[in-house]
Amino acid sequence: MPPRSLGELFLGFLAIGTRSFGGVLPWAYRVMVEERGWLTPEDFTETIGLCQFLPGPNIGNASVVLGKRWFGIRGSIVAALGLYTLPLLWVLTFAMLYSKYAAHSTVRAMVTGVGAAGAGLFIATAIKLARPLAKRPATLVFIAGTFLAVGVGRVSLLFVMPVSLLLAYGAARRALL
Amino acid sequence: MILLELALYFGLLSCIAFGGLPSVVPEMQRFVVDVKGWASAEDFIRLFAIAQAAPGPNILFASLVGWKVAGLAGALVALASICAPAAVISWWVSTLWDKYRQAPWRIALQRAIAPLVVGLILSGGYVLATPSPVPDWRLWVIAGATATTMLATKVNPLWLLAGGGVAGVLLLS
Repeated sequence: MPPRSLGELFLGFLAIGTRSFGGVLPWAYRVMVEERGWLTPEDFTETIGLCQFLPGPNIGNASVVLGKRWFGIRGSIVAALGLYTLPLLWVLTFAMLYSKYAAHSTVRAMVTGVGAAGAGLFIATAIKLARPLAKRPATLVFIAGTFLAVGVGRVSLLFVMPVSLLLAYGAARRALL
Repeated sequence: MILLELALYFGLLSCIAFGGLPSVVPEMQRFVVDVKGWASAEDFIRLFAIAQAAPGPNILFASLVGWKVAGLAGALVALASICAPAAVISWWVSTLWDKYRQAPWRIALQRAIAPLVVGLILSGGYVLATPSPVPDWRLWVIAGATATTMLATKVNPLWLLAGGGVAGVLLLS
């Protein structure tokens, strides 16, 4: 059953944003499917599938798409505000706390260490995503090519994205990807 | 005018951010650190750390970059401009989704995007862990150990971030 009012929509997305330590997706599922029953598991997967295909933040896009489905453009705006308001306050508070203590070299070392661990999470995520794709050799060529151009070569993504997308689309149409 | 530049650039990134924030992290770093010099590479990795440790969608990292560059106004402008163009595209495409979901060109496009996103996320990890031209092996060790643990176990990523903090104090200070 969809949310009955804009207020309920706002509170639902507020709950997702507030509680999502360590990843938003599991919380989005818990709140919208399990707790509030706004979506069936199939609807949820379908919506996330659409949002993963689109550019931009998945859950942010999902808030816009679902808000629109239920309440039109007002729903989109209310859901997105609900999602972002508290996390924005959190992250800015964290940042201000950090800058207060940034003069201490131990604090700087700790935060840099957290950042390096975050980099490791990215690397692990990339490997996880690559595993099901790696059956086709052309996939590895595109992964390596993008990494060499953007990561190592520091070529602008504004150039790499259109060019590689065009090439990859051509390869996909020839069933290479 | 920094705010306008930030808004235009992040707005452009929003339109090509397939795979969400992780895909555009290396480009953000290139623009903010290498091209504009608004922050150092060390600042960039620390802002990233703060965004990772805070709850909420990881796109909020963009607001921290904006905050570093132009304070509270920068935070709001950066977040709005990285989200809004993609939101408008989503708003518009969601009604077409059912019609084209099974279309061959759409499926081919999805297949084409997948390996690019993987390469970009890998680039993000590499760029963050390599803030100086001469690689710092200690950052690579922390990143490598974290990646290995995440792949080998089901431990909550928050513990891995905490472990990175401890390793940072031991190795880097």
